[in-house]
Amino acid sequence: MVGSLSRTGATVLALVLLFSALWLGAAIGETAIPMDVVARTIANRLWQAGYPLDPINEGIVWNYRLSRAVVAACCGSALALSGVVLQSLLRNPLADPYILGISAGASTGAVAVAILGFGAGLLTLPLGAFLGALLAFGLVSLLAMRAGRGHGATILAGVAGSQLFNALTSFIVTKAANAEQSRAIMFWLLGNLSGVRWPDVWLALPAAVVGLLACLWHARALDAFTFGSESAASLGIPVRRVCVVLIGASAMMTAAMVSIVGSIGFVGLVIPHAARMLVGVRHGLLLPASALTGAIFMVAADVVSRVIIPGQVLPIGVVTALVGAPAFAIILGQRGAVR
Amino acid sequence: MSTFAFEAQAAETTYPLTITNCGRPITFDKAPERAVSIGQSSTEIMYLLGLQHRMVGTAVWLGPVIEGYEEANAKVERLADNDPSFESVVAKKPDIVTAQFQWHVGSEGIVAKPEQFEELGIPVYTSPADCVGKDNTGGGDGVRHAVFTMDLIYQEIAELAQIFNVQERGEALVAELKAREDAAKQKIVSANGKLSAVFWFSSAELDIDPYVAGKNGAPGYIMRALGIRNVIDSEEEWPTVGWEAIARSEPTIIVAGKMERRRFPADDIAVKYQFLKSDPVTSLMPAVKEGRVVEMDAQAMNPTIRTIEGIEALAEAIEKAGLTQ
Repeated sequence: MVGSLSRTGATVLALVLLFSALWLGAAIGETAIPMDVVARTIANRLWQAGYPLDPINEGIVWNYRLSRAVVAACCGSALALSGVVLQSLLRNPLADPYILGISAGASTGAVAVAILGFGAGLLTLPLGAFLGALLAFGLVSLLAMRAGRGHGATILAGVAGSQLFNALTSFIVTKAANAEQSRAIMFWLLGNLSGVRWPDVWLALPAAVVGLLACLWHARALDAFTFGSESAASLGIPVRRVCVVLIGASAMMTAAMVSIVGSIGFVGLVIPHAARMLVGVRHGLLLPASALTGAIFMVAADVVSRVIIPGQVLPIGVVTALVGAPAFAIILGQRGAVR
Repeated sequence: MSTFAFEAQAAETTYPLTITNCGRPITFDKAPERAVSIGQSSTEIMYLLGLQHRMVGTAVWLGPVIEGYEEANAKVERLADNDPSFESVVAKKPDIVTAQFQWHVGSEGIVAKPEQFEELGIPVYTSPADCVGKDNTGGGDGVRHAVFTMDLIYQEIAELAQIFNVQERGEALVAELKAREDAAKQKIVSANGKLSAVFWFSSAELDIDPYVAGKNGAPGYIMRALGIRNVIDSEEEWPTVGWEAIARSEPTIIVAGKMERRRFPADDIAVKYQFLKSDPVTSLMPAVKEGRVVEMDAQAMNPTIRTIEGIEALAEAIEKAGLTQ
């Protein structure tokens, strides 16, 4: 059991780490901007300190980098939370929005709105992504139900769903094939933070915060689900309502993030496991720990994606997958050992 | 060297003619009569050589055809606005295929590999501008290790003129283009070495890192010809570079691509202006604040017959903006 004192200590440490990560996100980029300029920019914008600065440098730090870091943090939190929820509800340690095809569905929905003009202007891109995410989840659930409820069936259904929706995305984007086209497809399939600005923060931040609150509100229910939905029902949990709310929250968070930065894999899968190692399996702790770990990981991954190849920016999805895929293998290996 | 001297030497082509094109020998037993061109520049060179009546199909269009050839172009079937299928090309029974880009017809070609046409006895002539000193094996827009110059276009004109036995016409065309290039250079000779620029072709998403011109492609040549420094230092043909790096390099001029293509929102020149003026950082760039954003036809930004027009357009814009003082 974690003592309350060390819990406070851990929270403080996590917040310090998060702010350090955001700071690094604002300080590191394609071009070198001195640390004092970064500090003064933030002072100018938050407290009207009035330091005389080169407006372009100030604009870059505030409008490009900091907004990007905040969105990365929201995105990491949201995907990690979705992963925790899906792993608990499906009782499947390998569940996450990417593997279950929810991200792929969101991409398809976003692209359908952006390129096909689907919904005749009534649908915004994030809303299209949300519908796509729900559709994909529905389809994958149906497939998994038909195939029996084993772990394997769910994952296989997810693989099929991902492939289908990624193919649909590529199909829509490739309506006019071109070398540049492949780059546009890469954006949706691998994720990219380069186009993020403050208006995106006003979508990402509420989505992550509302998602976190919805999950925390149901933390006890999520604990109950660990032993299956029948046990949860016998404990007086309104199973159906909880499922609808939580799956809706996961789809909403995934869709919001996909519509801003494209599809990013493995964060939702790996971060919950890392957080369990740190704080255990009780959702009251696991949810905030996952959200924080996810945020820090994503900002760090974004910084890595900007510095790993000088003069070039890797798609963030490449970095998360490079870390995530081996971690995935380790989780798989451990599960094998348990059996 | 006057055009007159050229005309005196203009030769008749002797067949069978074998030339090496992009590292592969291609042979013609007679002047081709049914040509399909995959690429707007390839098509336009054919027209300028007066070969429109030998054209049976065109494809890959970025914008309107070169001025004065609208009527000729209307008579030639357009197989596709973008990439034609292999079979649609073959169905025209061509005896030559001219291609502008290896990513259409090449080792990684999305239409076909040249061997596929050759198996059917159809020689493929690819624009030297896309293979000399350029590596297209990685797919995409390729990487250019050697600097593009108009000489590659002149080589293409000369070789096509030889293949079709219209060498006199070819020599006259090259001489005319060279004269236009010199005239444009003279116009802004006083600004030489004082200006810098960035060429923005388009962006896959509006706010995302844009496709800008690397140092060795056609825009690089345009800038070198006019003594302008390219703020982008990359061997890639169209690298994506962040607005952060572009804004900090403070180019004197932003050259924005104008095209009919509407694949991405930023293809539209109006959207490009809107972005530059509204983005919190780019709106602070001196080039944007002082209205030094120059429109240029996207065809001129590719290594094409239109690159000359790009040189002329930019020289004119610089003169108008009073940057020559």
